[in-house]
Amino acid sequence: MQDVAPEPEIRPHPTSGLDDTVHQRHRLGILTITAEAQRAEFGYLRETLGLTAGNLSRHLTVLEEAGMINVEKGYAGRRPRTWVRITPKGRAALAAELAALTELLRRHQ
Amino acid sequence: MSGEGNGAASGREPDDSGKTGQPEDPAGLLDEMRALRRRTRTARHAYWFPLVLFGLLTCLSAPFYVQWGNLSQAGATAGGGVPFAMLGGFPAITTQRYLGYFWLVALLGGLLLTLLWYRWNARRVGLQTPARGYIVTTAVLTVLAVVLPPLSQVSWLRFLSLLWPGDLVIRGTFPFVIIAVGLWVLAWAERSRALTVIAAVYTATALLAALYNVENVVFRLGWNPSGWQWRLTTLPNVLLPALVLLIAGTAAFAAQRHRAGAQA
Repeated sequence: MQDVAPEPEIRPHPTSGLDDTVHQRHRLGILTITAEAQRAEFGYLRETLGLTAGNLSRHLTVLEEAGMINVEKGYAGRRPRTWVRITPKGRAALAAELAALTELLRRHQ
Repeated sequence: MSGEGNGAASGREPDDSGKTGQPEDPAGLLDEMRALRRRTRTARHAYWFPLVLFGLLTCLSAPFYVQWGNLSQAGATAGGGVPFAMLGGFPAITTQRYLGYFWLVALLGGLLLTLLWYRWNARRVGLQTPARGYIVTTAVLTVLAVVLPPLSQVSWLRFLSLLWPGDLVIRGTFPFVIIAVGLWVLAWAERSRALTVIAAVYTATALLAALYNVENVVFRLGWNPSGWQWRLTTLPNVLLPALVLLIAGTAAFAAQRHRAGAQA
């Protein structure tokens, strides 16, 4: 009877852990900021990330459609305010993305 | 990684990420996210306010700790029918009868002001700190401190008296322990190492004030009270925790102003 050599374990390349929705610098930045606070205001995100209002809106739409953030619109006095809150799915995606980037970095070193 | 090349919306977005010349490699991206996280965390820190507020409230409580009555009657009414004994200690031993009322109002009022402060700061900065855990924890502990003594008088609830050891409450400094527990929760919410250190130092001070007569240390340092000065000998137990909060709060405020100035 012939012994069958066990197949070598194939470890997926770290890039397979990168999520297209999250793997974009500004969207990653949005998730990083919102993960650090209970919620972040549109103006703070725009200023900190150096984005135009239109660009930030588009990134927020992508993340909201992916279920990674919730967007809450309200008023502070008469001023309209938009607050962004990360969801558990967004937190998990951020953690996975950072883990994949860290693993990628480790392989290259 | 292209700035706009990976997302579902990539085809529609003008590439404004390239303007800044930000790094594309994983190491650069990770460094960038770490810096962003640090900046966000620093920007939303607002804990100097509750530190200063509760430091001032502790100072305001000092007159209630002065022994205005006849010192020779000390201990005469220990424990019997004391209102809010967990907050106000045992009157005629070290504190005034109304100290419990003061701390009930001060703790709940201080929490309300802190809640309003965090809401105002969130609107001002654009980042909201999850301070609800701090508010709820401190409020629940305050309410428990009010209801536990009367409940433990009920015959079938006497076991509740185990939850309020007399040594911690007799000096009327148990509110400091409540404030200390709240600070640990706030340090977690603020993700602040500095506040964790402050909470540790304050907890040690609060426990010292609750379990030991700090005036003994002051006596050894050379204070030799005479006459009416004996009425003030309980104050070191109050002023030491107050001092810790006020110094820490002022330092945190100064550090925050400095960082805000550096970023601007």
